[in-house]
Amino acid sequence: MSLVLVSHSKALAEGLRDMVVQVAGESVHVAVAGGTADGRLGTNAEAIVDTLRASLADGPDGVLVLLDLGSAWLSVEMALEELSDTERARIVVSEAPLVEGAVLAAVQASVGGTLAEVAAAAAGAASMSKAPGGSSNA
Amino acid sequence: MPEIRMTVVDEAGLHARPAARFVQAASRFASRIVIRNGEHEADAKSLISLLGLAVRLSSVITVAAEGSDAEAALASLATELSPYVTPIPGNTIS
Repeated sequence: MSLVLVSHSKALAEGLRDMVVQVAGESVHVAVAGGTADGRLGTNAEAIVDTLRASLADGPDGVLVLLDLGSAWLSVEMALEELSDTERARIVVSEAPLVEGAVLAAVQASVGGTLAEVAAAAAGAASMSKAPGGSSNA
Repeated sequence: MPEIRMTVVDEAGLHARPAARFVQAASRFASRIVIRNGEHEADAKSLISLLGLAVRLSSVITVAAEGSDAEAALASLATELSPYVTPIPGNTIS
């Protein structure tokens, strides 16, 4: 079971990977596709295809993709079109907010969760409080 | 349902890393394991559930387990999570 983090920023994706691995442990496979081919901010369908294929090859259990926003989804969609039906069948794209979703997914993956279980854990991020038990002046 | 009480000794409370350790330790057991903080209860095998408990430094939490390996689960949790929590002696209820 692998996670693929897709972001407009390579630094953001790699920083999040560091954080996720620290919380969930080294046993979780986390790959990133961040930034354009020439190092600018943006997403890159080709890099996403390569990252997805490498992650699928990592193990039999499939890949959960988490993405930041806007055109990240367009690039992921383009990347998925490049893949075969068999490859696509082992990939789930999460709608979860990137940071919370990645952490929840990684911890679920670290305890041996299946792709469906890991995707469900990530989905929980949508209702997660930033300040549980806290107060807000917003 | 055996349970143990623990004091949270991590300065930041039960934040992401210790909560993840709880989930990983609890998931190795078949028993249903819950953590109570005051009137709130969370599934010890669910990170989002644990983070929602908002456990702070010095909070006294109760870990309760139900199932065939409940006693072993509690013993293991108390040992493995010692950097973050301190079991309260004499408060083990079987």
